[in-house]
Amino acid sequence: MSADQQVYARWLEWGTRIALVVLIASFVAYVFALRDPHLPPQELARLWAFPVDHYIAATGAPTGWGWLALLHKSDYLIFLAVALLGLVTVLCYARIVPVLLAQAERWRAAIAIVQIVVLLAAAFY
Amino acid sequence: MDWWLWPIALFAVTFAIGIVAVLAGVGGGVLFVPIVSAFFPFHLDFVRAAGLLLALTGALSAAPALLRGGLASLRLAMPLALAGSITSIVGALIGLALPTDAVQLALGLTILAIAALMWRSARPEESSPLAADALGTALRMNGLYHDAALGRDVEWRVRRTPAAFVVFAGIGLIAGMFGLGAGWANVPAFNLLMGAPLKLAVGSSGLLLSVVDTSAAWIYLNRGAVLPIIVAPSIIGVMLGAKLGARLLRKARPELVRRVVIALLLLAGARALLKGLGV
Repeated sequence: MSADQQVYARWLEWGTRIALVVLIASFVAYVFALRDPHLPPQELARLWAFPVDHYIAATGAPTGWGWLALLHKSDYLIFLAVALLGLVTVLCYARIVPVLLAQAERWRAAIAIVQIVVLLAAAFY
Repeated sequence: MDWWLWPIALFAVTFAIGIVAVLAGVGGGVLFVPIVSAFFPFHLDFVRAAGLLLALTGALSAAPALLRGGLASLRLAMPLALAGSITSIVGALIGLALPTDAVQLALGLTILAIAALMWRSARPEESSPLAADALGTALRMNGLYHDAALGRDVEWRVRRTPAAFVVFAGIGLIAGMFGLGAGWANVPAFNLLMGAPLKLAVGSSGLLLSVVDTSAAWIYLNRGAVLPIIVAPSIIGVMLGAKLGARLLRKARPELVRRVVIALLLLAGARALLKGLGV
């Protein structure tokens, strides 16, 4: 197995593990009301049948990275896990760029860099 | 029905989807989105976001072992994932901009087409092409993996790489628009179109899916379409179901499982189509 594939697998494994632990812990905190939610589940149930724009307008739920300001609320703690799942691939690609350059694989390093730009563009759109 | 019964029902259904998805060799997203949007009260916007995230989580969890075993190849997946991830962003933006009925209708048609594709699926190719194409060679899309069943190393290379870029761009668009994941299309595209060996195609499909779905998932997350009460039980349910499915894999009858999946897709696809038509 090539060095880049080995490094990618290692970072992916640890990143995903951490994200899943955060997901399960934050869901337990939400279900057992260990912290107050921004929106109680019974109120959410009145809105989940409507489009996302309606839900945002009715609840004032944050868009973009606005959820970071609500991390003390149990429902938005789960967003931390979701964001970690979304960042794992970016970190893996960033980590293999120097490995690819060391292997003189310039084309693949360029593809990895463009991929990071695309993923970050999606994350900050 | 009391609100708290829905997440419990969702957990039960996604647990079953996790089992069936492993037995049938499909990603969870392609079953989750049509079934949950057809039979649960959640709006399609939230279901698509959850579908992407559960497909993404499954792919991320499986990829390290596949990469280490040589059954997934970064060399094969990276260039095509780039094309798919760009179009999946476009797909997600289109999906969120279109009226719900139009997306529901298109989802129904897409699911019925996938069911037909699975019904008429061609025999997989077991061997790699003898001659690689110029683009595939330039991008060094070739390599070796060890096939434990054959007890030897298998050399692989690919053909029709330019056409593959177009096909994977299309798959990304559909994945982003409907939150379906993309495993149902990646494997035939890698194997039948590009000539990658079947085992490598299956392993690399998840790796590619993890990149493509990440892009689209960010769009849904940023638009506020991620509801924790849908996402968390779905991901946990599918992950636990997949573990049981992996244990049942030895005893399962593949043809029976395939027919069950096709029947489920036909049912959910027809329901989505009718909802889209306002019936």
